[in-house]
Amino acid sequence: MKLLNSVVLGTALFSSVVLAHTMTVLPSHFVQSKTGGFITVDLSATNMTFQADKGIGVDAFQVYLPDGSISKPAAVFQGKRKSLADVALTTDGTYRLENGGTARFFTSYELNGERKRLMGDKQKAAAELPKGAEKVVTTQGRNRAFAFVTVNKPTEAVLTPTGHGLEFSMDRHPADVVAGEAVTMTLLVDGKPAAGVELDLSRDGELYRNEPGRIHHTTDQSGRFSFTAPEAGRYLLEAAYEANSPSTKADKVRESFTWAFEVALP
Amino acid sequence: MLLLSVCSSASYGASLQIELALPKPEHGPYHRPYVAVWIEDPAEKPVRLIEIWREKPDWIKDLRRFWRKTGRADQPLVDARTGATKGPGVYHLKWLGDDNDGKVVAAGEYLLVIEAAREHGGRNIVKQKFNWGGSTIDLTLPAGSEIGAVTLKSEK
Repeated sequence: MKLLNSVVLGTALFSSVVLAHTMTVLPSHFVQSKTGGFITVDLSATNMTFQADKGIGVDAFQVYLPDGSISKPAAVFQGKRKSLADVALTTDGTYRLENGGTARFFTSYELNGERKRLMGDKQKAAAELPKGAEKVVTTQGRNRAFAFVTVNKPTEAVLTPTGHGLEFSMDRHPADVVAGEAVTMTLLVDGKPAAGVELDLSRDGELYRNEPGRIHHTTDQSGRFSFTAPEAGRYLLEAAYEANSPSTKADKVRESFTWAFEVALP
Repeated sequence: MLLLSVCSSASYGASLQIELALPKPEHGPYHRPYVAVWIEDPAEKPVRLIEIWREKPDWIKDLRRFWRKTGRADQPLVDARTGATKGPGVYHLKWLGDDNDGKVVAAGEYLLVIEAAREHGGRNIVKQKFNWGGSTIDLTLPAGSEIGAVTLKSEK
């Protein structure tokens, strides 16, 4: 039963990964050789990878400094097609730029054969669901979009998994992803390698070619995903995971992230 | 003392002479290129930084491979091997068969890497395998847009 569930979920999840707007955090530079400068970060919801479509809220945007502490951007602007954040790079090391990350509850149901959705957990749904609602499922969802930027020598503090939710570890630093070189990452849920994580790897420039050339992968028990980027450029990894996790607030947990990264010239 | 250790590398044939041309581009505004020349082992780990020609730190990252392999991690080494940027011309460099610590390297296969990047220009990388400590080296590499002809010769 559990297996069947995960297969059905997998299919639903896959389409949601592909069809929904994708939230991305895209820095103007991934690598810098000088401290004391700035980068400007694009925050957008997109259909094609890095093709800005809708500016998104900037309130949840945070800068994780190389020592792991959290800071705010120097300036923000929410635009119609993309939002912007200026980030000061005052020290050496690796920064994580992250948007989102707050858990939200939503309850989906069917009414007279039509699928509907209500924002709220099980208690709220119990109070607000219309009469005759069927197939009621409440999901606790959390979505993050992030990127890493490295000034001078790479550091690890902002990469280390916290053991909470959907994360990843990798056999190299994000500043060391190079065209033609194999990369292996391990998708983690609550700190452990996770099966059934849906991945979608894409690269910049989809508007200017016929074949998007996306790679889809579902992790097995090892949680691993290996890829070799054929050419240098900007890439996006989308990851999503859903599991039954009954609690007083929800029936399921859904965790997702997008990671924008640079594949360097060899 | 340093001189002595240099002399002891003579058993492999003393030095690798590198002749490197920087071309004169025909179009556009000209800024002198940033250039790095170094030796890697067969696992592509850097062994010896020979020279880096650069000005402001802002643009060193544009020497992508150099930056990733050496520049970002070893500032004292970079500072020690830094020279001013150079205009079009022919330049002569030398590797004495030592590593970054001044120790003589083992005989075997190595890689000479030359990377050049120019503002408003392009980026070129030359990677040439050679066998150090064995047969005579005499190689001529074709010119690219940012790195002109390169010749490698071993010298006793």
